[in-house]
Amino acid sequence: MTETAVYLQPAFILQHRKYRETSLIIDVLTRDFGRLSLVAKGVKKSKSKTAGVLQPFIPLLISYLGKAELKTLTDVEIAQPLMQLRGLAFYCGFYVNELISRFLHKYDPHPEVFADYHECLSRLSIGSDIEAALRIFELNLMDHIGYGLQLEYDVNGASINPSKHYAFNVRHGFVEAADGYFSGKVLLAIKSRAFTDPLVLSEAKMLMRTVIDTHLQGKPLKSRTVINKISSTLKNE
Amino acid sequence: MQKNGLLGQLIQSLCCLPGVGPKTAQRMAFQLLQHNRNGARLLAETLLRAIDEIGYCRECRTLTEDSLCGICADNSRDSSLICIVENPADVWIIDQAAVFKGRYFVLHGRLSPLDGIGPDELGLDILEQRLATGSVNELILATSSTVEGEATAYFIGELAGKYHVQASRIAHGVPMGGELEFIDSGTLSHAFNGRKQI
Repeated sequence: MTETAVYLQPAFILQHRKYRETSLIIDVLTRDFGRLSLVAKGVKKSKSKTAGVLQPFIPLLISYLGKAELKTLTDVEIAQPLMQLRGLAFYCGFYVNELISRFLHKYDPHPEVFADYHECLSRLSIGSDIEAALRIFELNLMDHIGYGLQLEYDVNGASINPSKHYAFNVRHGFVEAADGYFSGKVLLAIKSRAFTDPLVLSEAKMLMRTVIDTHLQGKPLKSRTVINKISSTLKNE
Repeated sequence: MQKNGLLGQLIQSLCCLPGVGPKTAQRMAFQLLQHNRNGARLLAETLLRAIDEIGYCRECRTLTEDSLCGICADNSRDSSLICIVENPADVWIIDQAAVFKGRYFVLHGRLSPLDGIGPDELGLDILEQRLATGSVNELILATSSTVEGEATAYFIGELAGKYHVQASRIAHGVPMGGELEFIDSGTLSHAFNGRKQI
């Protein structure tokens, strides 16, 4: 492989883990080169200036180079002021990171996912509509990677009727059924990403959970388990 | 280098220590065998005893060979003030700085949803029971200044709020003797957000 050098690429850190004494291996989502792993050498030394910057949820500009699969981080700058994630939104940020790590293949560029991710983090940092922010991100992610849902038509190609109910099958789509869980009205609202109604939000959550779990083929999302545990501990008073 | 046999096995085993590679391990093994057999025996015996006897303190979960560690057993320390740290090593560091006269609670990690580490893995149920008894007045959160550290601090802060216990986070920002010129932008923005009135 020839040596690649990339300069000031917009990126977010998804996850980092220790490597040797003072280094980190970071998983990053870049705008133009997709998800990849980099080694950040010597960043955990006491005089390192980059350790404070190499954190998830900060819009960064990174430079890296290398010949092999694992490239070396050479420079990092903050692209924008920090987005402060608070409380539950903070944990949801980890969930979004895990979704990206699980669904995007390495070196598969998806600039639109990058933009959606940035958008999602901004919404999470405002903190008022966490659920809506997550659902929009999930729906868009599925669309971009080819698992998009057909929310306008049922399996037979007929338009979704707002006054009818539908059952859902991940492989095929929506089937009209009197006792179906999803109402046509809700499906159309999800299609237009209108998440103001709590009913739409709760049905969208069920829908996306089914879709995501099917595509993950039985491997549970670790962050979801932890977030459920966290919120249940904090709630039971 | 002899790879097989007891000598090879010893060198290999020494490599499990942090910062010790094959070369250093080789030096250590030869030093112990050639010049310091008594030291080696003492090391081996102490190591075995330490592995067998050292466990977690039942109150603060730090490493100790007793059921209650020296700090928790010390009655002159303020038991209503608890400092939460990630590792037993942090207890030593804070104790050496001699700024804190309360007790500790060691998490042995931090909340990391991506690695599946949740409140239960950190022994937070033990902490919660202690908060519930009402004997604690303040928690000082000395987790590291990373996202996981913040996530942990936030969760414990909420937990403290549930039991009406005051919780505070140690300050981060410009180090002592540090000049602004040499500080990274992340730390600097943190320092600005956490500024103090004078």
